[in-house]
Amino acid sequence: MKCVILAAGEGKRMHPLTYSRPKVMLPIAGKPIVEWNLLNAIHAGLKDFLFIISYKSEMVRDYFQDGTPWNVKISYINQGKPQGTAHAIGITETFTDDFIVLCGDTIFGTNDIKNLMKKGLKIGVTTIEDPSQYGVVNLEGDTLRAIHEKEPNPVSNIINAGIYHFDQSVFPAIKKTQKSLRGEYEITDSINMLTQTNPMQVVHLKEWRDVVYPWHLLDANEEMLQKQTPSCLGTIHDKATCLGPIVIGTDTTILPGAYIEGPVYIGSNCKIGPNCYIRPYTSIGDYCHIGNAVEIKNSIIMDHSNVPHQNYVGDSIIGQHCNLGAGTKLANLRLDKNDITVTLNGAKINTKRKKLGAIIGDNVQTGINATINTGTIIGNESFIGPGAIVTGELRPQARIW
Amino acid sequence: MCGIIGYTGFREARPILLDGLKRLDYRGYDSAGLAIIGTSLKVYKDVGEIATIEKKIPAMKGTIGIGHTRWATHGGVTKENAHPHLSCDKKTAIVHNGIIENFQPLKETLLKKGHIFTSQTDSEIIAHLIDDEYTGDFQEAVFAAVAKIKGSYSIVIVSEHAPGKVFGTRKESPLVVGVGDNENFLASDIPAFLKYTNRAIPLDDGELCVITHNTVTIYDAHKKPLKKKEELITWDIKDAEKSGFPHFMLKEIYEQTDTIHQVLRGRLSEIEETITFTPDVEQLLATNFSTLHIVACGTSYYASLVGKYYIEKLTNIPVEVALASEYRYYGNHNPNALVIAVTQSGETADTIAVLKEAKNSGQHTLVITNVIGSTATRVADSYILTQSGPEIGVAATKTFTAQITTLFLLALKTATLHHTLEPADTYTYIIQLKDLSRHIRDVLQRNDQINTIAHHLKDATSAFYIGRGVDYPIALEGALKLKEISYIHAEGFAAGELKHGPLALLTTETPVIAIVTPSPTYDKMIANIGEIKARGSPVIAIAEDKDTEIDKHVDYVLRYPCDTTDLSCIVITVLLQLLAYHTANLRGCSIDKPRNLAKSVTVE
Repeated sequence: MKCVILAAGEGKRMHPLTYSRPKVMLPIAGKPIVEWNLLNAIHAGLKDFLFIISYKSEMVRDYFQDGTPWNVKISYINQGKPQGTAHAIGITETFTDDFIVLCGDTIFGTNDIKNLMKKGLKIGVTTIEDPSQYGVVNLEGDTLRAIHEKEPNPVSNIINAGIYHFDQSVFPAIKKTQKSLRGEYEITDSINMLTQTNPMQVVHLKEWRDVVYPWHLLDANEEMLQKQTPSCLGTIHDKATCLGPIVIGTDTTILPGAYIEGPVYIGSNCKIGPNCYIRPYTSIGDYCHIGNAVEIKNSIIMDHSNVPHQNYVGDSIIGQHCNLGAGTKLANLRLDKNDITVTLNGAKINTKRKKLGAIIGDNVQTGINATINTGTIIGNESFIGPGAIVTGELRPQARIW
Repeated sequence: MCGIIGYTGFREARPILLDGLKRLDYRGYDSAGLAIIGTSLKVYKDVGEIATIEKKIPAMKGTIGIGHTRWATHGGVTKENAHPHLSCDKKTAIVHNGIIENFQPLKETLLKKGHIFTSQTDSEIIAHLIDDEYTGDFQEAVFAAVAKIKGSYSIVIVSEHAPGKVFGTRKESPLVVGVGDNENFLASDIPAFLKYTNRAIPLDDGELCVITHNTVTIYDAHKKPLKKKEELITWDIKDAEKSGFPHFMLKEIYEQTDTIHQVLRGRLSEIEETITFTPDVEQLLATNFSTLHIVACGTSYYASLVGKYYIEKLTNIPVEVALASEYRYYGNHNPNALVIAVTQSGETADTIAVLKEAKNSGQHTLVITNVIGSTATRVADSYILTQSGPEIGVAATKTFTAQITTLFLLALKTATLHHTLEPADTYTYIIQLKDLSRHIRDVLQRNDQINTIAHHLKDATSAFYIGRGVDYPIALEGALKLKEISYIHAEGFAAGELKHGPLALLTTETPVIAIVTPSPTYDKMIANIGEIKARGSPVIAIAEDKDTEIDKHVDYVLRYPCDTTDLSCIVITVLLQLLAYHTANLRGCSIDKPRNLAKSVTVE
């Protein structure tokens, strides 16, 4: 049985993090989102993968190659211009017969994938609080009747989760699918046609983690860190303190005075400390430096970035190759304790989080004592000058003094 | 410049080929065609726009195929002459960009063997030649056929004899492999496949490539497999038309190594030591005219001034160069004059008006233009194409050097026809023309250095260009380039004229660009530079690599590599184009679309 993983999307709602990587390559607990799916699918027994790629396709291909490091077979199809999920699945026609399709940017669990793999057409569904932004499913027992996309008054809280078991019968339906209002070929339209003749069984998922906006990565990171198995391939100085489940990569050194409370993930070739405080749900990539008098909590720091002196980083995401100047602080809580609102791609969004720091793209540098307010978005390659106070949304290559 | 694409993979080939051809339409075309192998090889080709042709093409099923857009240079614009061309058994199809120089003897041999030709193109012989060589191993047949052809080409081939494979080879014409996932591409340029893959391998001269849906094998001319590295294309489809250059103007400046080649293509034979134009052009040039009148506007006018220098030097026939808007009302319409109009677009209103009136007054007319089928080509008795492909930047670059080169060829041909030049001298000029592309490439490699000098120009409010002889119109053109894209007031002067007025305008803030070539007036130029230096103006000299004297007299020197005085003006033009480009870029100007200007002036 083949597994098709949809990994072509750019993820505009994940700006600025997706200016330089496709959405599925965003790191959560030390691994790209799509690798968690690959691992879970492998545990479920799948061995033959077909990745649909397009935006920055070389990053996906370079990372996963032909699948040898995972002992599976991975091949690729370039979707070209992304034209929707039905188009993506449609181009796999000559490569597939009975197959699983999953959205690479949503994390699915091993047991759920196993259930999907059982005989017959299937669709994964899940129950959520606010279904208005998803396709709500109309069920008859365990059989799908129809999917209704993003309706203002949804019929239920059960939504299409983005994982399917198809066979060749889906392709005639895809070919008949018309462009939707937003100009894409949607697989939900194909499924609504398919169910007229070929009933689809519903699988209620136990695990499901969708990431839409950057701050959702923090929730997903927290969930995956809770599940991680502790290990240490680096060196921990005996004057350093490590509590709780911690993963430490090869050639990473934890220096004296470092106080680390798990769950925490630290990649390879990092220098942690001396004298820093790393609090739970923090993921640090490879080749990072966390220096003296730094406190980090509930954050994602990507590869080659430095948080080197007297910094506070809370509930934040920092891209690759960033450097915070001495004393740069990232605020994560409003004084009035209200929800934090973010301006992303020019639109205001209530994150429904009380605590959120900054979302910082790649190659950003800040000067000494720069102050970054709650919910600030900083585009790639920006410079934040010494003592600057930053708030709102900064476009890439911004210069703030 | 024709466009080529080949595809093999899992998708239906038809939409991919058509889309690829649309992405190549910047190269210009008049007809297009496809060949797709499904259950059997099927071909569709026609004259016209791809969008129109697309509607007419019948359903062609298959996941392997080739496509072509033709820009006619040899053989008329007809359905038969459009590519792909087929072998007699209709099992092999080829598309070709370039020219097969020895197609005549090859065609005669193939005709004797019973091959039947359906077009007037040189390209068709490739399909028959492969067919003729085929004895069971198709790849060997391709190798053998390619070994027999001479000329410049990029060729892509599919055949029922080699299922699943597309073959490609090139010499002096572009061909790039697009390495995809479960599919591969061959195309004239990267935009043709960039939607599907950003991994490319540009082929080098003489290499032959075989692609299947999951393999790419490249051989050198001796059939030895080569390992070539993929290049990752980082610019995206939006930048695609500019091939990764920040501006069309810079892209077009860089294309000049190729466009000069295009001008000479099919017209210059090193082996036979001759220059060939179409029979009607040659007939026109052979007539016994007493004088030549060249009419043009803007940049084309400056090209014409260079042309005057060439024609008078090589033929002793007096040449009068006039601005179309002046000649039209005030020129002497000598019925014994051959009127040559130079217009890039072929639509310049004033120039067309001159052509019409010249015809009415019984003068013979010839037009030098870049656009086949333009109004000027229909009005004039005959036309010569500059074959440079469309120019999108408003500031003319590649078409200017193509016009000069064309006028030089015209001067040479006229001299031969009127017996004013020894065959040995003609041969020397042919060799010099062949070297021209190489010299231009050399100048392009000095881009960084030119950029550095542009810093000394960017803050000027006024700049002067000076030159003597053939370099005087080049000074005019250099000044035009600077003023039109950087908005710095710039004037070109004949160096000897400075002291008759313009010297009064010089200040310590007025840079002067002096073109100093090793001509008999070299010492006079040095004296002129002395006059300028006495007023304290900074001088940037454009001088030959070997010139060791010039540094003593000027502030900055930009060097060019040519050692042939007559053609060095083309190489210097490229240098001045880059200087204007970088100056404008440093000033943050809108380079491709200067204020108040349009590409083709169709009003009077």
